[in-house]
Amino acid sequence: MNRSFKIGSLLAIQALVGCSTPLPPQELLQARSAYNAASKSQASQLAPAQLDTAKQALEKAEATFKEEGDEPVTKDMAYIANIRAQIAVAEAGREQASRNKVKVDHDFRNSQLDALDSSKTALEAEKKARAEAEKARKAAEASLKEIAAIKEESRGVVITLSGSVLFATGKSTLLPIAQEKLSDVAKAIGDQGGYKSLLVEGHTDSQGSVDKNQQLSLQRAQAVRSYLITQGVPSDKIRAEGIGSSRPVADNGTAEGRANNRRVEIVVEPNK
Amino acid sequence: MRKLCLATVVLATACGGAAVPQETLTAAKAAVAGAEVAGASSEPKAALHLKLAKEQLGKAEKLIADGDNEEASREIDRAQADADLAFSLAKEATAKKEASDTQEQLERLKQHSK
Repeated sequence: MNRSFKIGSLLAIQALVGCSTPLPPQELLQARSAYNAASKSQASQLAPAQLDTAKQALEKAEATFKEEGDEPVTKDMAYIANIRAQIAVAEAGREQASRNKVKVDHDFRNSQLDALDSSKTALEAEKKARAEAEKARKAAEASLKEIAAIKEESRGVVITLSGSVLFATGKSTLLPIAQEKLSDVAKAIGDQGGYKSLLVEGHTDSQGSVDKNQQLSLQRAQAVRSYLITQGVPSDKIRAEGIGSSRPVADNGTAEGRANNRRVEIVVEPNK
Repeated sequence: MRKLCLATVVLATACGGAAVPQETLTAAKAAVAGAEVAGASSEPKAALHLKLAKEQLGKAEKLIADGDNEEASREIDRAQADADLAFSLAKEATAKKEASDTQEQLERLKQHSK
């Protein structure tokens, strides 16, 4: 027991003495682990030249350690090898970032083109829609012109319907033919869209009493208003007024002039 | 004559020790300047290595003044490595920032065109 212990410790001492290579300095251990980490990182793909420089620096440090042992020169070499390994990692990170940027730049350009395309498409769609609306408006105007006189005034588009077409003399009941025409008018106004409100004005010629004319013109205007409501015009968007004979458009001295003065005007008041 | 020349050269090298490492010193100083221009001062890890490089260069210059060219040369090599690392780290930071800025712009563009 005692003897074997002696032999054991003797062997241990021998091993220590016999170990001619000294322990590597801390710097070399750090350099080894730095290079090891770098070689396992993306540096092998993204910064192979720098990784190779780091490898050579480490080999140089190892060789110096083998020749010189744990000397300041070995530590310096190891320090440099450690730094070179870090440079390889940093260069790989830089390369990765610049590749990312190239990719994102590419995506950015594509996105810009997509945005341009979609705005072009939207613009074309809008143009088309506008052209169609304009066409519908013109068609509506044309169909209105067939049945009524249309003029543009500052208060809006004024549709003038002859009184003789709408009513029998002295009456405020719409004639059957008048209903047909007003249906077309209602449809045309609806097609035109985008109005704020409608004003229906009844006008008479100057024959008869002012009061009576006033009353008749209001009743006629109300008859037209009611009918237009049945044709889909919202009731809160249409008013009726009796103007009587106060606003003639033609000479009340002739039969033709009086016929022109007997009329109903529908004012389409635009959105402001 | 020729033999004498050779002998003089051998003698000079033997007596005077290592020559002043002027070339590597200049190169290392240039590397430090390069790292500074690349923005190493504004990137913490790069700034650390820039500082180390400068310190080592200072030490090297002192050693040269003291005539210890061999040790000066080793300090210069360390300085060169640190300056190179400072440069690489600064460049890496710049590239990462550029990439993330571009990414951000892309996100904004996508948001905008939604």
